[in-house]
Amino acid sequence: MSKQLYVDPNVVRAPGKITFTDIPVNTYQKKVKDELGNFTPEEFKNIYRDMLVLREFETMIQLIKTTSEYCGVPYTHPGPAHLGIGQEANAVGEAFCLDVEDMIFGSHRSHCDILAKGLSAIEKLDDDKLLDIMKNFLDGKTYAVAEKEPHETVKDLAINFLLYGAMAEIFARETGFNRGLGGSMHTFFTPFGIYPNNAIVGGSGTIAMGAALYKKINRKPGIVVANLGDGSLGRGPVLEALNMACMGQINELWSDDMKGGLPLMFNIINNQYGMGGQTVGETMGYDAPARMGAGFTPTQMHAERVDGWNPLAVIDAYRRKKKLLAEGKGPCLLDVVTYRMSGHSPSDSSSYRTKEEIEAWWEQDPIVEYRKQLIEAGVATEEECDGIVKYVKDAILRNFKLSIDEEISPRMNLEKNPDELADMMFTNGHVESFAPDAKPDVNMPMEECPRVQAIAKKERWGFDKDGKPVSKNKVFQLRDGLFEAIIDRFYKDASLASWGEDVRDWGGAFAVYRGLTEALPYHRLFNSPISESAIVGGAVGYAMAGGRALVELMYCDFLACAGDEVFNQMAKWQAMSADIIKMPVVLRVSVGSKYGAQHSQDWSALVTHIPGLKAAFPATPYDAKGLMASALAGTDPVVFFESQRIYDVGEQFHEGGVPAEYYEIPFGKADIKRAGKDITILSFGAVLYRALKAADELKAKYGMEAEVIDARTLVPFDYETVLESVKKTGRLVIVTDACERGSFASEVARQITEMGFDYLDAAPTVVASRNWITPAHELEESFFPQPSWILDAIDAKIVPLKGHARVTNQTLNEKLRNERRGV
Amino acid sequence: MATPIIMPRQGNTVESCIITKWNKKVGDPVAVGDILFAYETDKASFEEEAKEAGTVLQIFFAEGDDVPCLTNVMVIGNPGESFAEFDPNAGSAAPAEAAPAAETAPAGEAKAEAEETAEAPVILGEMKISPRARNLAEKSGADLSKVVPTGPDGRVIARDVQKLIDSGLLVTAAARAGYQGGVEGTGLGGRVSLRDLEKKPEAAEAPAAAAAAPAAPVELGVPVDDSYTEPMSNMRKVIAKAMMASLSSMAQLTHNISYDATEVQNARKLFKEKGEKFGMERISINDIIMYVVARTLAMPEHKALNANLIDDGKTMKYFRGVHLGMAVDTDRGLMVPTIFNADKMTLKELSATAKRLAKECKEGNINPDYLRGASFTVSNIGSLGIESFTPVVNPPQTGILGVCAITDGVRVENGEIKVYPKMTLSLSYDHRALDGTPASKFLVDLKNNLEAFTLMLARG
Repeated sequence: MSKQLYVDPNVVRAPGKITFTDIPVNTYQKKVKDELGNFTPEEFKNIYRDMLVLREFETMIQLIKTTSEYCGVPYTHPGPAHLGIGQEANAVGEAFCLDVEDMIFGSHRSHCDILAKGLSAIEKLDDDKLLDIMKNFLDGKTYAVAEKEPHETVKDLAINFLLYGAMAEIFARETGFNRGLGGSMHTFFTPFGIYPNNAIVGGSGTIAMGAALYKKINRKPGIVVANLGDGSLGRGPVLEALNMACMGQINELWSDDMKGGLPLMFNIINNQYGMGGQTVGETMGYDAPARMGAGFTPTQMHAERVDGWNPLAVIDAYRRKKKLLAEGKGPCLLDVVTYRMSGHSPSDSSSYRTKEEIEAWWEQDPIVEYRKQLIEAGVATEEECDGIVKYVKDAILRNFKLSIDEEISPRMNLEKNPDELADMMFTNGHVESFAPDAKPDVNMPMEECPRVQAIAKKERWGFDKDGKPVSKNKVFQLRDGLFEAIIDRFYKDASLASWGEDVRDWGGAFAVYRGLTEALPYHRLFNSPISESAIVGGAVGYAMAGGRALVELMYCDFLACAGDEVFNQMAKWQAMSADIIKMPVVLRVSVGSKYGAQHSQDWSALVTHIPGLKAAFPATPYDAKGLMASALAGTDPVVFFESQRIYDVGEQFHEGGVPAEYYEIPFGKADIKRAGKDITILSFGAVLYRALKAADELKAKYGMEAEVIDARTLVPFDYETVLESVKKTGRLVIVTDACERGSFASEVARQITEMGFDYLDAAPTVVASRNWITPAHELEESFFPQPSWILDAIDAKIVPLKGHARVTNQTLNEKLRNERRGV
Repeated sequence: MATPIIMPRQGNTVESCIITKWNKKVGDPVAVGDILFAYETDKASFEEEAKEAGTVLQIFFAEGDDVPCLTNVMVIGNPGESFAEFDPNAGSAAPAEAAPAAETAPAGEAKAEAEETAEAPVILGEMKISPRARNLAEKSGADLSKVVPTGPDGRVIARDVQKLIDSGLLVTAAARAGYQGGVEGTGLGGRVSLRDLEKKPEAAEAPAAAAAAPAAPVELGVPVDDSYTEPMSNMRKVIAKAMMASLSSMAQLTHNISYDATEVQNARKLFKEKGEKFGMERISINDIIMYVVARTLAMPEHKALNANLIDDGKTMKYFRGVHLGMAVDTDRGLMVPTIFNADKMTLKELSATAKRLAKECKEGNINPDYLRGASFTVSNIGSLGIESFTPVVNPPQTGILGVCAITDGVRVENGEIKVYPKMTLSLSYDHRALDGTPASKFLVDLKNNLEAFTLMLARG
């Protein structure tokens, strides 16, 4: 929403028609002889060399997978191999035009793309820079192998480095580009502009969009290419990315130099198949992927179809599209026709296509054709071409031998050094700004922000001098704590950008961002489309490219809509890149209530289950501010749970109230909200206040002093504090608003049972929500844990409370009956 | 109104109990709290207290009878009231119509109440107990046989054990191994001690005596089976179990050696006659032996005997000092106080310490800390004239030395028979901890040291 845009009924309701311009199809039909003078002979010949490198590289892996040897050298590779034989020309053509700072993001079938981009970068970098990159990469481990290979020039050395690093990575060697942690589907090398490739089909769509946002918002040169297969156009996140990349606000609402479309190319590698599914005629209705561009913007994304089997056609297209992108007319979409002559994977028997079809394509093999053209145009002789073939084959065989040598290319020993990988799960950094040289774009000094001024008048301690609660209007609330930490980082880190649904004028659905609209320009805080995948995936790409992102999901329930982006992308890329990539993304997730089954779920357990995500769930203004500050200064992905029940609570625990100045609360430190000796109650998030009520009742009616611990963070979780408390009390109740089955509370109960068994006077008990749908607000007290349930559980399972009348059925039979029914 | 008393059910798996003693007979008046009868299961013994007053109208079972749980065993009421309807032995006869339902109900209720208030202690071994409560009990020596569970589902929880501790219901460390419950403590602070364990059999003697029915006249010289059986009292079972536990849990065996006690006797004589002004006149032969034992054990090559074998036989726990357990016979029974760091004491110090500890044991005011922690034990029963015996190792120690009486020994010296004072030493040891040769070498070193006692003393 924006008041700047007037929705005029007279315009919206007026008759008329929507027109399209023609989408060009394979208009470029030139050959080498037609372009003489436009390329140097060296360039012509390098195109041939590069296509050969790609072909031989893929052939080598194909032979290993199918015959367990290459050129008589035996080897077995049990991992994946999605090969791109036939897709060399489009990759080389694309890379030919890309500069080093241009970024490519790809798919599971990216060997061709990364090698082509690497060879292109090597060609464009000067020798000093190349040496600098190679020597400093992973402490020079990869370089140490490559430099021993015979080479005449630094560029030759760099080609060896590229081939060896990629092969070692594919074969899971410690000397590979990601220390063997990425593998075939994820090999990348950021110094050459090769960014992560994704094994989730279409996964790179939203990520590349986010990287383009980074380039734009941070005024970085270059473009971003999303190399996506035609099959990926069936995926929602890709459509979300296409849409969000085209969002109108960039031209309409973003100010001054920020106007202009994203420097983003959706490069659809149209190899005709999504695994075995034939996109045209079977699984899609678009007839040609190029048509898709017309659906997203009036510019039709400048879409056209290009003959991807002619490298010169691809180069021609890229030259034109790069110009458009540089002029701020992006994003663009290319439908690059190619054909995968190898199977989807080596186990593919091509049962979905005919031999005739494959043979017909082989007859037009682009590498054979291009060589013919080179010779025909007099650029190279047969002998020269044979020389290039020999150079390539030698290089592939040489590097293959090195990359499978157990001594030269060892694997990580995770038996002996499990911490090698364990230490990579989080980077645990503290970075004030990811754009230390840039001045943050803001609209006003922070103290002039109306929200900042309003907060200055609020009471930062929740009680007045008589001990009575300060009214909601006057008290510094939890949402104010979040706001303070967030605006602080916006004024410190110029790279920080934030987007989500209704985060701007609305101030966020729960008013956390109120006042930020005034303080920040559009490009640092903007409304996204209702596209959870693109919101989170965009943040992942933004962080990969080098920035810090703060994004939000309006309701925890929408986590399901961004499942891949949170669980596979945000969580994994630090370790998959051997920590070369940092993931400073804070994902705010608001946990609802009152709104029924699809707007009231606490899904913290999903997040804690996935390795690689940190998770916080504060319950007080003091903790909210300190934890958010900590999250926003870190380098790790954080899912930051907030409860809608308590956005308005004042500070009741931190003596003196919430400090006005900046502070951080480290993750992994639980907080004892009330000390006690008779029983420990551990709570997650908003349920803290119900736990405290139960503690009050325990004290008043049964003389028991409960120790109430607020977990504050779930990953990492502070078992020490809970264990110490349990050693003292011997009793533990864990309370959570999440449904009981599989909740994180259940996980903690199990862990404490193991860790503190000898100290326990009863099994730790979990008081959680029912394993039901969340019913209507009026019925919620039968669903979410109540103070009385906590007492019931204590009475029934831990220590009988004399005279306590239970309101819930705590018998074993009832439990068994429910479990039998799956509820 | 006449009220039947049932045989309580001590745990879900107990089917019947044996009546071991009747404290009341028919016609006796009963006050609330009086002990009506004693009974036992295979694991523990109990006493049934009267919950209401009256007169014993009938008793349905004799001592030694095995009575199914929840069966009526006696009836209390006012003289003259009818009790026949409660007779469980009349079960074959048709019960009075309608009445049983009405009458058995109160019995059932009484039982339910008993369970709810958990008056009856739970049975060890079948007890539901939280890990924390168990640990607390182990650490404190709380007498779990007397615990009243108040946790959910009849579980013993920490506060129940704390209540035992607060009430002084404890078992001494020494008695714990063999203790299975049901004994009234008479030790320090009411602790159940070994002495109490040994006392119990006497209480159970009555039924045994009763079972020994007078023999009928027999015809001599004719084949006959005149044997009779008696159930083992619970206490004997307990002791049997403790002994078996010691003997079956380790590879115990005994080596004997004798030595010439001339020098020891001479020293003892010297101390007695001339030691007074040095305060050494009461140094006994046992003190001298312990002095030498401590110093011999302190030799590095004998460390396996100055040790505990713990961890189910997986770990040897060695001691830097020699902490000598000393068996002391007291009115309360056998006690074994520890002389810590005996190997570093002068003979005078050791003797004084031994005397003090023995005195405290006899007076019953010894600090319980001195009743544990021994690395080796010396047991002297020589005063009773025993010439050789097999002492039983006190686990987890690896050895115990039995000291026997001095007798006249003879040996041939230069072709002549000589008489000399001879004392036998019996070393029982755990073969798991050490082999026969090192055990023998210890005895040989001990013998040599004792025979050269003056040199030992001079060396210090």
